[in-house]
Amino acid sequence: MLNRDQIELIHQEIDGANTPEGSAACRSLVEQDPEARALAAELRHVALLFERVATREPPPHLKQAILDALPPPARAASRTAAGWMTPRAILRWSVTQLRLSTERMEEAIMTKRTMIIGGVAVATVVVIAGLATGWPPVGNQAGTIGGVEQAARYKGRAMTQSDVTLQNPEISALFQNPQILRLVQSGVFREAMQNTAFRELQASGAYHQIMASDAYHQIMASDAYRELMASDAYRQLEAIPAYRQLEASQAYRDLQASQAYQQLMASAAYRELQASEAYQQLLAQGAFREAQSAAAMRELQANEAYHQIMANEAYHQIMASDAYHQVMASDANREIMASDAYHQVMASDAYHQVMASDANREIMASDAYRQLEANEAFRQLEANAAFRQLEANAAFRDLQASNAFQQLQAAEAFRSLSRNQDLANVFMREAMNVTAP
Amino acid sequence: MEETQAAADEQDRALVRRFLEGQRDAAGALVDRYQQRLFNVALRMLGNVQDAEDVTQTVFLNAFLKLGTYDPRFRFFSWIYRMTVNESLNMIKRRKPTVTLDDAFEVQAPGAAPDRAAEAADQVGKALMGLKPDDRAVVVLSHFVSFSYQEIADVLEIPVRTVKSRLFTARERLRLALDEGVR
Repeated sequence: MLNRDQIELIHQEIDGANTPEGSAACRSLVEQDPEARALAAELRHVALLFERVATREPPPHLKQAILDALPPPARAASRTAAGWMTPRAILRWSVTQLRLSTERMEEAIMTKRTMIIGGVAVATVVVIAGLATGWPPVGNQAGTIGGVEQAARYKGRAMTQSDVTLQNPEISALFQNPQILRLVQSGVFREAMQNTAFRELQASGAYHQIMASDAYHQIMASDAYRELMASDAYRQLEAIPAYRQLEASQAYRDLQASQAYQQLMASAAYRELQASEAYQQLLAQGAFREAQSAAAMRELQANEAYHQIMANEAYHQIMASDAYHQVMASDANREIMASDAYHQVMASDAYHQVMASDANREIMASDAYRQLEANEAFRQLEANAAFRQLEANAAFRDLQASNAFQQLQAAEAFRSLSRNQDLANVFMREAMNVTAP
Repeated sequence: MEETQAAADEQDRALVRRFLEGQRDAAGALVDRYQQRLFNVALRMLGNVQDAEDVTQTVFLNAFLKLGTYDPRFRFFSWIYRMTVNESLNMIKRRKPTVTLDDAFEVQAPGAAPDRAAEAADQVGKALMGLKPDDRAVVVLSHFVSFSYQEIADVLEIPVRTVKSRLFTARERLRLALDEGVR
């Protein structure tokens, strides 16, 4: 029976990778050992068979299609010289461009949603924590819970209704709410309170600025936002660990921050495209990733809004922008594209379920969502340095990614609480008051 | 005369430089140099001409978009082969598992009857597609591109010992699969 080294020696001989001494040893082995001889013959046969596989010529139109699909400065010469572009080349160019940009747009949209929801969730927890535990000191609201030392309270013994003796009647009423009481009594809540990231976040200036900003306040108070908050799909997406890694990428935060990107997102053509049935179908089918989805693609190509996008100056600005090219060429992007996390997200049932869900499609096509995207306050908020700082804030991300916070958000008490719009509004108002610098 | 590897690397670097300087004809020259090789790698990885064409085009487009960040200290061919293998692996992950082999494999068997050559081609294609994609990548780079272990390791960014282990295991599977096909 051949040992591992002998088998490796034979394989290496087939590959021409043996040293002269190794080759001599292999020849000797093959001469003396019938089993080695048989293996070497069979492996040579395999190698020979592969050697005989003919090299194929690429399709004759491939080179032209590649050159046609290059970004405008590179394309100009060959295009005008050749004067033709096959329908398939156009299709490819469009699909490639759309795929490159749209995947990030999908992600960016998701990021915005997650960010806003995460912000509310964090604000809610900050306020409840501040009120229920007295940590950290929250100005005039200090001493909200009678008879218990702050340090002891923070260590997290279970709260009871009798502990809550708030002076603010509105907040006091909140603590009469069984949902809140159940939440503050829960283990997951106490665990979240003890999270280091949570404490750092509470101390962050960016967080305080956001909570105090008019733009944030306006968004929270808008009907469009309230409608958006009704979906469970967000939470489903948030629960995908790999998605959080994507969210943390500096590259697409930079892309999102670019003026061209902002312009495109706010353009009527883009919004119209997003709301079109063909586009929705394409997204829902993951059609950018399937060349076979010609029907949806043809429908999309016939769509006027699609042509507007293709002709849209902002779109071309994005394609030509340094930020876009930096994103595409960045190590971060390469890592994302090559990462298991990215593929997990793109291939995950949850992601596809979210993208294909009626809820998501309704949201994307809903007036509320479009209003929100076109909302001046929303754009102001996105452009707000503090908002971006908060997005990039490691503590904020750590907190959102922490098991404790995930569990807290998944807890039925928290979910039923956050579905209650009136309570959420009170929390938001309170957050703005207590966290204002 | 066959281009030496060092000369080929230098020519690649020169074309990349020219492309980045705005001489767009360099793009055509790079496509000429690599399209056949990349198309064949993708074809062997995917077993489908249409998919291989899509992958080749995507690789070139991405390569031209990212060329600004290509580090000339490293070999261009490793970089672009890596993109081809990765894009092929992505395509395998994305596409439906029911994709059928088309006439991607043709075996040249001088003197053999055409039906024997077609049968051999079918066997090779099926055996190759029966491998795990990561193992297939090593086999393709070794047998169809004739890369050394070190070159495969550079392209796939894995240790040489992993290259060897994957290649030897895959070749053993191929041997058994082809043997079974003959019987």
